[in-house]
Amino acid sequence: MKTDVKRLAAEMAAIVLIAAAIGIAFNHRLLLEVFRGQESQAPAAAATATPSTPAAAATPLPLGLMQVKELVDTGEAIIIDARDRETFRKGHIRGAVPLPLGEAEGLISPFAERTPKDRLLVVYCGGYDCHDSRLLGEKLLAAGFGQVFIYEGGFPEWRDAGHPVAMGGE
Amino acid sequence: MEPVKKHLTAVLRVGLGALFLYAGVIKIINPAAFAGSVANYQILPYAGNYLVAAILPWVEVICGVLLVTGWRARSAAALVALMNAFFIVLLFSTVVRGLDIDCGCFKQGGEKTTAWTAIFRDTMLLVAAVFVYRKGTK
Repeated sequence: MKTDVKRLAAEMAAIVLIAAAIGIAFNHRLLLEVFRGQESQAPAAAATATPSTPAAAATPLPLGLMQVKELVDTGEAIIIDARDRETFRKGHIRGAVPLPLGEAEGLISPFAERTPKDRLLVVYCGGYDCHDSRLLGEKLLAAGFGQVFIYEGGFPEWRDAGHPVAMGGE
Repeated sequence: MEPVKKHLTAVLRVGLGALFLYAGVIKIINPAAFAGSVANYQILPYAGNYLVAAILPWVEVICGVLLVTGWRARSAAALVALMNAFFIVLLFSTVVRGLDIDCGCFKQGGEKTTAWTAIFRDTMLLVAAVFVYRKGTK
């Protein structure tokens, strides 16, 4: 009986270990991106924050957590929240400007009128499988902005890293 | 009576295996979306959600294959039972914490499955897994 339980436990552990090995190998690129974002919180990794200009990029280029943190701290970039207003009110990166993708058609023109085209823009949304930041970034590039980046980790990564968040107002 | 029991065990084993195989494969297709579903439970840190999303679907797939083939089926059934028990506790916690989220059990971003529906379904799967575990591949 005891031997049977031991064998069962060993086989269950083997299933989990094999699954972990396959899962990590299969998703190693995704996991590397995610963990690099976390590692970049380390002060030693605080290198130059300003990214290179995405010359005539058709799609916005991604930025990691560290770079976005530097840009927020120095105020060099306008941080744009592409999520809907209700989600924005529940929590957003402190200092971010709401520009929901669903309202982009009506909001981009006035935003473009009051914002110099060479300003650095960083767009984020809900992280994970969220595509709103990329789609909004493409619209901003099409509107004539030259330096548009997306923060793929989005609000979840920022919040979980313990960086400043704000709730409510715009 | 005995042949009925024998067939019932086989049907439950293969059915359970096929269901877990399906659940695992559709999550493997889009790990980022599944990481989002895991994140909805608000338990793990950001990277932890991705790690679970990378590994859990493969546990489901391996258990599914073992159950369908009948090789090491008792171990797979025991693991499936443990996972379902854990899922039930997790789903109860969302009810207690007032989280109105999709369980993320199968198709990500599909029709929302409430916690109570998922708890009922997981309880049925837990019973089936325990049954298969007790009967083995007989």
